[in-house]
Amino acid sequence: MSVSEITLGHPAAEARGAEFRRGAAASTPVLLGIVPYALVLGAQAAQKGLSVVEVPLMTGLNFAGGSEFAAIQLWTSPPHVLLIAAITLLVNSRHFLMGAALAPFLRHLPKRKVFPALFLMCDESWALGLADAKRRAASGLRPAFSLAYYAGTALPFYLAWVIFTTCGAALGPVLGNVERYGFAMAFPAVFLVLLRGMWKGFAAARPWLVSLVVAAATYLVVPGAWYVAAGALSGLVSAWLLAGEK
Amino acid sequence: MIEPWTVLAILAMAGVTYLTRIGGYVVLRNRTLSPRATAVMEAAPGCVLISVIAPDFVSKNPADLAALAITLLAATRLSMLPTVVIGVTSAGALRWLMG
Repeated sequence: MSVSEITLGHPAAEARGAEFRRGAAASTPVLLGIVPYALVLGAQAAQKGLSVVEVPLMTGLNFAGGSEFAAIQLWTSPPHVLLIAAITLLVNSRHFLMGAALAPFLRHLPKRKVFPALFLMCDESWALGLADAKRRAASGLRPAFSLAYYAGTALPFYLAWVIFTTCGAALGPVLGNVERYGFAMAFPAVFLVLLRGMWKGFAAARPWLVSLVVAAATYLVVPGAWYVAAGALSGLVSAWLLAGEK
Repeated sequence: MIEPWTVLAILAMAGVTYLTRIGGYVVLRNRTLSPRATAVMEAAPGCVLISVIAPDFVSKNPADLAALAITLLAATRLSMLPTVVIGVTSAGALRWLMG
């Protein structure tokens, strides 16, 4: 690449920039949804005695909100490291499935790009990236998975998560209970729209119904974050059983 | 400001989480899945998403349940941003109205 190409903008770099912006635009509504969550998590963490340095250390290195909420619930001083690690594994075990679902779309990429990209894989960037890859595959675009689009969905999300959890830790005592303003509904709203995007008819959605019922029942009966694992597993088992009846 | 045990717990979390993120890719990268395994993989994301929000479906707060019904209806027709706005405003308004 010559100097003039850099200053004028390399066509490939420009295309990557456009793809990045397309991803960032797609993730904007989700960003809106996570800000209150980030503030709440930061505030809760501060209540448990984590400092404004330790909170971004956690949210920046771990970057998985569900496990962070669970860990903070169980936080003691000093924390039980093994318990925290086990709960983190439990809540984040869905990443195995998510990575496996994404794997066929990553074949054209070198590992030096895949491993950093997977660090940024969260529910939202994964769902947006995978949905986009499926749309592009259906319209004949190759490669179907656009790494720049994915980065565009993931990076703003990462920065917002780290910044707003830190703000939450700093402002926590001042904010009080953010949840009472109705912001808690942003999370289910985002997930319901993502589910609508994956909808392929009632027959294909039967495992979801199993997951919903089992997860809700487990949530009512068993304390802690077990309901996610129970709901997900029961849905997968029913998907496996239902696929066998054809 | 920085406690050694806290840092250790955070590093353990980060290590475990990164392993879950690369695990599926590393193990399944070069395999072709059976139709049955594919059916499971296709159902997986929806199963996980719905399980995470399942507690909202059995909320003990009637205002939140009504807001969830409105949000569900919005999600079937509208895109992300209007659905989130409708969800948050209806939850806020109903909580205020229904106490």
